[in-house]
Amino acid sequence: MKVLYSWLRDYVSVPDGPAELGRRLSLRGLALEGLEPVAAGPAPDDAVPVGDDAVIDFDVTANRPDCLSVVGIAREVAAVYGLPLRMPGPEAPGHLRTARMAGADAASFTVTLDAPDLCPRFAGAAAGVRVAPSPAWMQHRLQALGVRPISNVVDVTNYVMLELGQPMHAFDHARLAGDAIVVRQARPGETLVTLDGKTRTLAPPQLVVADRDRAAAIGGVMGGLDSEVKDTTSRIVLEAAWWRPRSIRATSKALGLKTEASTRFERGADPTGQARAIARALALLEILGAGAADGPLVDAVAIPHVAPAIALTHAHVEGLLGMPVPVEAVERILHALGFSADATGPGAWRVTVPGWRPDVTRPEDLIEEVGRHHGFEHLPATFPPVLQAPPPSDPRIARDAVARRVMLALGFSEAISFAFIEAAAAEPFAAGAAPIALANPLSETFAVMRPSVLPGVVDAVSHNRRHGRRDVRVFEIATAFAAAGERRSLAAAWTGAAGGDHWSGGRRDVDFFDIAGAVEQIGRAYGVAATLAPDVPPYLVAGRAAAVAVDGATVGVCGLLDPAVAERRGIPRADAADVFVLELALDALATAAPPGATRVTPLPRFPAVVRDLALLVDDTLSAQSLRDTIRKAGGDSLISVELFDRFDPKKGDGKVSLAFRLTFQAPDRTLLDDEVQHSLVRIHQVAVAEHGAVRR
Amino acid sequence: MPTLSELVVRIADDDAAFATALAAVDATPAAARATALDALKIAWVGRKSGRIADLMALLPTLPPADRKAFGQQVNALKQRVEQALAEREATVAATRRPAHAVDLTLPGRAPLLGHRHPLSLVREEVQQIFTRLGYQVLEGPEIEDDWHNFEALNMHADHPARDMQDTLYLNEPLHATPHAPWAAASSARARAPQPLTLLRTHTSAMQIRYMEQHDPPVRLVAIGPVYRRDNLDLTHTPMFHQCEGLVVGKGITLAHLKGTLLAMAEALFGAGTDVRFRPSFFPYTEPSAEVDVRCISCAGTGCAVCKHTGWLEILGSGMVHPAVFEAVGYDPAEVTGFAFGMGIERVAMLKWDVGDIRLFYENDLRFLEQFSV
Repeated sequence: MKVLYSWLRDYVSVPDGPAELGRRLSLRGLALEGLEPVAAGPAPDDAVPVGDDAVIDFDVTANRPDCLSVVGIAREVAAVYGLPLRMPGPEAPGHLRTARMAGADAASFTVTLDAPDLCPRFAGAAAGVRVAPSPAWMQHRLQALGVRPISNVVDVTNYVMLELGQPMHAFDHARLAGDAIVVRQARPGETLVTLDGKTRTLAPPQLVVADRDRAAAIGGVMGGLDSEVKDTTSRIVLEAAWWRPRSIRATSKALGLKTEASTRFERGADPTGQARAIARALALLEILGAGAADGPLVDAVAIPHVAPAIALTHAHVEGLLGMPVPVEAVERILHALGFSADATGPGAWRVTVPGWRPDVTRPEDLIEEVGRHHGFEHLPATFPPVLQAPPPSDPRIARDAVARRVMLALGFSEAISFAFIEAAAAEPFAAGAAPIALANPLSETFAVMRPSVLPGVVDAVSHNRRHGRRDVRVFEIATAFAAAGERRSLAAAWTGAAGGDHWSGGRRDVDFFDIAGAVEQIGRAYGVAATLAPDVPPYLVAGRAAAVAVDGATVGVCGLLDPAVAERRGIPRADAADVFVLELALDALATAAPPGATRVTPLPRFPAVVRDLALLVDDTLSAQSLRDTIRKAGGDSLISVELFDRFDPKKGDGKVSLAFRLTFQAPDRTLLDDEVQHSLVRIHQVAVAEHGAVRR
Repeated sequence: MPTLSELVVRIADDDAAFATALAAVDATPAAARATALDALKIAWVGRKSGRIADLMALLPTLPPADRKAFGQQVNALKQRVEQALAEREATVAATRRPAHAVDLTLPGRAPLLGHRHPLSLVREEVQQIFTRLGYQVLEGPEIEDDWHNFEALNMHADHPARDMQDTLYLNEPLHATPHAPWAAASSARARAPQPLTLLRTHTSAMQIRYMEQHDPPVRLVAIGPVYRRDNLDLTHTPMFHQCEGLVVGKGITLAHLKGTLLAMAEALFGAGTDVRFRPSFFPYTEPSAEVDVRCISCAGTGCAVCKHTGWLEILGSGMVHPAVFEAVGYDPAEVTGFAFGMGIERVAMLKWDVGDIRLFYENDLRFLEQFSV
């Protein structure tokens, strides 16, 4: 809400200049949004002159419709400075006066409220007018607040809206058919050309102000073009009504039509301010020489406003704020803001809420008023008591930290990417299911929730490759989304050097066994044995990628990303065939073994015997099956089988040599050479029998 | 036969010649100096053909009476030459590498270490601060239902506060049970699962989930991503991270909130950091306050970072609204509480002077590598 500093001074003699005023109000709940110095402009004859003027822009929070008016802001200023507030009224001097309404004359129109719940009050008055431009001071004030001057009559209605917060409308009396104004729901398909020249098609329960024949205005939103005040208008009907906020919000939204009026009504205007607005507008017409009332105030009230009363205690005030606030300060603040606080006992009040404060419904709301005007700067810094040991934190935090540590140690940097991605980016990873789509995405780039965390790290590789970085290792721990719900996932991508990038040479690019090794290390950190199987989803290259399983259950994948997928994400073609990825479902890994649940194995008391065994086998035989055979045949004393060499002695003969380092050890004695030899022979025999192996 | 006086002149010439030769050696490049020094040594103190030896060879040609004086002068020259050579040799030896030595200044073989994401660093720091202050740290679902994200937080369908946050909705509701390892097995106050329709707009949704499942007292922080329909610019991204704090119990006050946030600000930004409360509005707190910290860039004197106000806004907070307690089945006459919500990105931007929030989501290694491993 913009206010003109000099206009504000009509109502309160604030001693500070605009900047200091803005600073002080910022600490009391009206945040200063902007301050634009302006030269002093024309002012009403009786206004207190100011030197330099300014337009002060306050950020009014959604709960304070009263501060969408100059008087509302003046009331806050008066409370902050402890100064009196000069309200427009019948007794007010000069240009602040309001008209005294004649009582007994017959009105030239009637008002019927056909939708009393949504429009419970409608005040109107007829006036004879001479339409002309409004005086310079009024035009200046309207323009300062961003409202375009139109004519004296229209400017008066806008001036009253800005001053008091009560939007008004003036109809050309001659363009209203009949003498009965009805506030009713629009008929289905009813149309109205609004002031902006657009034809609006209406539907119930949208409200209209109608004459005998048709709608003349969209209630609380915008008037109709046909009954607008023109240069030739000689008689008007002024409207000041109260509209139910949700009705205005729905209508404004449905029509895509937001006006100064609808903004105020949808937040909640003062339900007691209608007659006063009419009286103020009529006085201004007179002051401007633009016209005078012609007939009485017509004040249709279907549901009278009942001012809420709230019981408040001093103990509650201090108990919630945690700071001392003298009883007198509580009363002074509430009074300054327009509340009436009637003492019901020592330190107890019955507080009546003024109509312009629809936000105040509970004692806590009153305590906020007291607290902010007493000053939050007086709050001491104290600590809440700790009455019990905190329950354990979310176990996922410690669990995810394990994966993070391992990945950092393996040289991967941590990435964080948006959870919503392009539909095309999600598609390869969605396993044929439709990804979770957003109804109102910002753009196609953020259309669906990622079904996997891989797209983010693949995009990170793409970004870094395109920015000249050849070697990229990134990981992300984040949520992936599917119809079954959310799951926490670790994803990583690796391209370029795998190590040895050194002046002494030995540089090597990442291959399958690097990414498989990372999976192995993560499994080790969680105390589980991860096994790899050849079945992989289509976004990986079969034969260079694997499914990762723990205890027979699939927990993820690792291996070479399909170059076509990489290229579609912007990775240059030359590099698209070298992106290795992994993704592991952390929820599944943690179910298998909570971290830290392992026990230390005592160190062996008897020496180990190490023997190497090289076997020539078909190159189609997996190392895993040969290793399993050796383990099975080796007996209890074979405690470790490690493949340390793979060698192809005669290229093209389909045979390959696999060399294993076998460690034998017994927990209770030193093994004899014969025993180890016996085991080796048995291993050899079984390997020959099962795989046709030849010892080298 | 040469006379003593002639030979003394010759000694003096040799002395000068040695000084010149030595200076020439000193002027040779470091790499060639050892060789030049060896040559100089052979030329002067070589046993057979050195110039000192040449002088000595003249000794027998002198009359016996002069021999002593001549011998003393030649020896003096020899000592000067040997001392000068020894000094140079020592210098050369000191700069010469020992056998098998390597160039110690060549780059070492440094295994690659990953770098942490700054948001992850701030997140962990906040977790540690509140763990130290006796809080439970929780995470929660990112896809939420209307009840937990809005309704129970006193943001009803026609509440103006819904205008404040533009929410991202799912195309079709999701019928899944949000996974929460911290949730109690059952609670009389927990509602039956509802269709999940939106991306949570704040971690405040976690307040509701937790209070529905647990009786007071409550002392928790909830951290994680939240989503709003904000276009990307220097200070906005449609996904960002929040840290939510909630303390509920008998006699919790706004002053407790101030003490807690002051402790957090000092831990995050250094001792002596000041905080101030500005009254504000949130539907789920009453009273509500925006909290500023004294500008960490100018210490409050005013600069571009704080737009010359001396203060930086870091979070929104307040006393839990009684309507929120009613929604989760707490009795607002029995307990009070405070809550706050802070943007992790905002803290990171202030802490490291990051001018563009989008950098956090580009995952550019040139950015990430500026943060600790």
